[in-house]
Amino acid sequence: MTDDLMLRVPFVHSLGPVLEERRRGYARMSLETASRHAAQDGKLHGGVLTTLMDSTLAIALRELRGAGASRHSSVEMNATFLVPVVPGQRIVIEGRITHVEPAVAFGEADATLRDTGEVVAKARVTFAIQQDGA
Amino acid sequence: MAEPESGQSAFLTLIGARTVEKREDLFRVSLLLEERHTNPNGVMHGGVMTSLMDEAVGGVIAYARGLDVMRAAPHSTVDMNVSFLSAARAGDELIVEARPIKVGRSVAFAEAEARRGDGTLVGKGRFTFVIVAPRP
Repeated sequence: MTDDLMLRVPFVHSLGPVLEERRRGYARMSLETASRHAAQDGKLHGGVLTTLMDSTLAIALRELRGAGASRHSSVEMNATFLVPVVPGQRIVIEGRITHVEPAVAFGEADATLRDTGEVVAKARVTFAIQQDGA
Repeated sequence: MAEPESGQSAFLTLIGARTVEKREDLFRVSLLLEERHTNPNGVMHGGVMTSLMDEAVGGVIAYARGLDVMRAAPHSTVDMNVSFLSAARAGDELIVEARPIKVGRSVAFAEAEARRGDGTLVGKGRFTFVIVAPRP
């Protein structure tokens, strides 16, 4: 388990994810999904997946840019939900930064089932990077 | 997907938001942002907004389709595209409005807007749903 600023954010912390790995341009979280994460149909709420994919990529980008770098913020997210997740299943979220420019960065995240490796959701996120002196 | 007649999802309740309007052409979800909803930058975590949007669009599509129809052939979000346009902070009210764009037999589309209480547009989203075949 790895501690991280993002996991101390109460909203993220309240979901209960575990940060398993973080390095330059890459981060991996896992979550034991539970009934409190459910949508009305009893399946995992899409917001849980988008929150963790966004958070994982933000960590991956911070690891790439360094702790003293200026702020970056998500400005666009495209997520595809491939397979419903039943609460009780453990999911793994991996985020990879695919390209960085001075003012913008791009990342991709996958959510998979830990037991089978089946991909349940994918996302692409665009980050705006705050310019020094701006 | 949502079954709005029974209230709202456990996850929306965990966040602290509430659905304040339910119509076949409009769903509105409201949340008074607290410090616990912010990210390390001190502004609203994007996942809060996407969660409210997903809840609202699922609900409005359920109402647009009709609850009996929805129960026989549930719909699920398969794709979303959200733009994060402005920041929101603790103390701001976040209001998400969702409207159906088109409801077909096997697919449905909806859009959502998130605004602060002062009317500033915070985010926009478009969502695609698949409708599973009716149960025999």
